[in-house]
Amino acid sequence: MSNIPENLFYTEEHEWIKVEGDVATIGITDFAQNSLGDIVFVELPDLESDLDKGETFGVVESIKSVSDLYVPLTGQVIEKNEDVEETPESVNENAYDAWFIKIKIKDASQVESLLKADKYKEFCESN
Amino acid sequence: MNKTSIYEKHVALNAKMVDFAGWEMPIQYKNLKEEVEAVRDNVGVFDVSHMGEFFVTGAQAVEFVNYMVTNDIEGAELGKAIYSPLCRENGTVIDDLIVYKIKENYIMICVNAANIEKDFAWFEKHSSRFDISLTNESENFSLLAVQGPNTFNVLSRLETTSNIKDIDYYSVQVITENETPVIYARTGYTGEDGFEVFGPHDFIAKVWDELMAADAQPCGLGARDVLRLEVCYPLYGNELNDELTPLDAALKWTVKMDNGLFIGKEALTEYNPKHRLIKLIADKGVPREGYKVFNGDDQEIGVITSGTMSVGLKKGIALARVKKDLFSEDSTIFIEIRNKKYQAQFTKKAFVNGGHK
Repeated sequence: MSNIPENLFYTEEHEWIKVEGDVATIGITDFAQNSLGDIVFVELPDLESDLDKGETFGVVESIKSVSDLYVPLTGQVIEKNEDVEETPESVNENAYDAWFIKIKIKDASQVESLLKADKYKEFCESN
Repeated sequence: MNKTSIYEKHVALNAKMVDFAGWEMPIQYKNLKEEVEAVRDNVGVFDVSHMGEFFVTGAQAVEFVNYMVTNDIEGAELGKAIYSPLCRENGTVIDDLIVYKIKENYIMICVNAANIEKDFAWFEKHSSRFDISLTNESENFSLLAVQGPNTFNVLSRLETTSNIKDIDYYSVQVITENETPVIYARTGYTGEDGFEVFGPHDFIAKVWDELMAADAQPCGLGARDVLRLEVCYPLYGNELNDELTPLDAALKWTVKMDNGLFIGKEALTEYNPKHRLIKLIADKGVPREGYKVFNGDDQEIGVITSGTMSVGLKKGIALARVKKDLFSEDSTIFIEIRNKKYQAQFTKKAFVNGGHK
């Protein structure tokens, strides 16, 4: 069974979100990295990009597949993890260390729409 | 949807199943990279029972097949396998296939699953004036491609396949088991040494079980595609299609102009190809089918026909069909990936050297 830390939020697109004040750190879950297999390429957005909830912010590629990344909260990109672009396999090694972007949250009420660990676990088990 | 005779065994191994040409086929078992590496370094096994098998028998079997395909079948020795395109009168490609000269007056042809009906109709249409018998035996055969440097060692130790002989690459032998022929061909589509074993369903199921017990790696169509692309073998539907000739797809070596009369000869003799199939290594990013290719003058010159991250090279690799008049080997090449252009290097060599002899 995949690792689903209690202190994070999740989406049905298999992203994890860590909320600290008005900053959200975003990555993909252990379940996602496991289904994708060997991750060979990650493309992230430019700094200061304004992103609307649900918009594509990048891609993650395995040997045979290309998957879009969807931003789970509206906000502006304030940091991106260049290490994960350089060494995409780090996502396979630890999906919760290998964060992708940090955004400044525009609308805090959107956080309520994210899944808590127990709900995400149910979602993974039902799929 | 069609299922191969060992479908249940793939499901039991938790393979990811996909629709491929109307067949429910394993695309990947546990880890694609491990599947590719098993074939390069040891032994992997693919269920490719969806592929088609036609048999041509009779006094004019060789003459007939030689007339139908562009490669030289008459000139090949008995016991040899020959890769060839199958073309129309205008030179366009109906399919690419392998002809097995199993024994005198007895030829097997192995064709792509998606093209079985189209190919058989084409062969049938031209068969009447030859003294031959033509049958489509696809439903009666299962097929395993056992690939990798240890293939012969492993197969020769199994109970079911212990009669296998150490024949040369691209050779074929037939062994009758319980009155049904089992065909062992030292062929494959991975660039590695290996055997393709064509046999009755229950026999092939036993071979599969014994291979699993011997720790051969089950491999899916995903690994197969990476392996064939690393050694630059064309795939029908990608590098080849109904609108292209072999000369558009780097297959001039398979069109033998001194090979008597064959369908498409006249058109191909006069044809001046507008395209060239080239090999590209991406500096960054992963090229994929359909991405556009540009030259240094920012002219769109063609399209990626197949692309992947190479397991052996650890770089993005691709075959691209480009317009001859807009491409030069010295030109800087770019691949457009999600609206950004990434530089790529033209190469004449295969991306990975297969180990077959």
